[in-house]
Amino acid sequence: MKPPPDPDSLSRLLAVWRVAPRKDPQFRPAVFARLSAARPALPWRAYARLHAAALGGALAVALIAGAWVGRDQARTRVAADRDAIAREYVQALDARAMTR
Amino acid sequence: MKNFWLTLVVLLAAAATSFGVFYVVNDAPAIRRAAREGDAMAWLRAEFRLDDAQFAAIKQLHDNYSLVCSQHCAAIMSAQRRHAPAAEVAALEQTCVDAMTAHFRQVAALMPPGQGERYLAIVLPRVSHYTHEGAPTLQVKS
Repeated sequence: MKPPPDPDSLSRLLAVWRVAPRKDPQFRPAVFARLSAARPALPWRAYARLHAAALGGALAVALIAGAWVGRDQARTRVAADRDAIAREYVQALDARAMTR
Repeated sequence: MKNFWLTLVVLLAAAATSFGVFYVVNDAPAIRRAAREGDAMAWLRAEFRLDDAQFAAIKQLHDNYSLVCSQHCAAIMSAQRRHAPAAEVAALEQTCVDAMTAHFRQVAALMPPGQGERYLAIVLPRVSHYTHEGAPTLQVKS
């Protein structure tokens, strides 16, 4: 039969035992990632309310930029077409243009 | 993260809608169609908001002027063929410019108030700034 371990030797062993865990720089981010993954996703409406000011600003910028680019593109194209047809119109009535 | 992408989609949709609305409001499809088809009379009608009577009167003026224009054209070509002095060709060309300018003023007089001035502001600079770079390829359609 095996004799019971000597309690004194265990105490001595524990007294000199040092834990030296390997440092993991990803430990903290991984913990937070797991926490956020476990958290239920915020509905978009709640998310929008939470960021109302930023979202309102971004929406205003998007609307103004879209309007400005749309207006500019339409006017540029109309102006180019108007210029082309006006030039053709005048040249078609210009005898000098027909003789060259 | 999903909410961020959803927000981005909402912003893009808002920008696209805004673009579309302002593009349509500032577009002039009748003018662009006339230019695409080289139809100057359709352009005049759309650009200067001519009613049927004004359009018919202006079209008649154009038809009449095209005969005058042909005579000027023939006179200039004849002078060029017989190598007439430059002064004679210049005088014929000046006659052409004067007739064209008078024609444009007659057309402007038939247009609605305000449109005639706008018409002259568009066409007259194109007469005086003619660069003699080549013959036109399109005629005024009736």
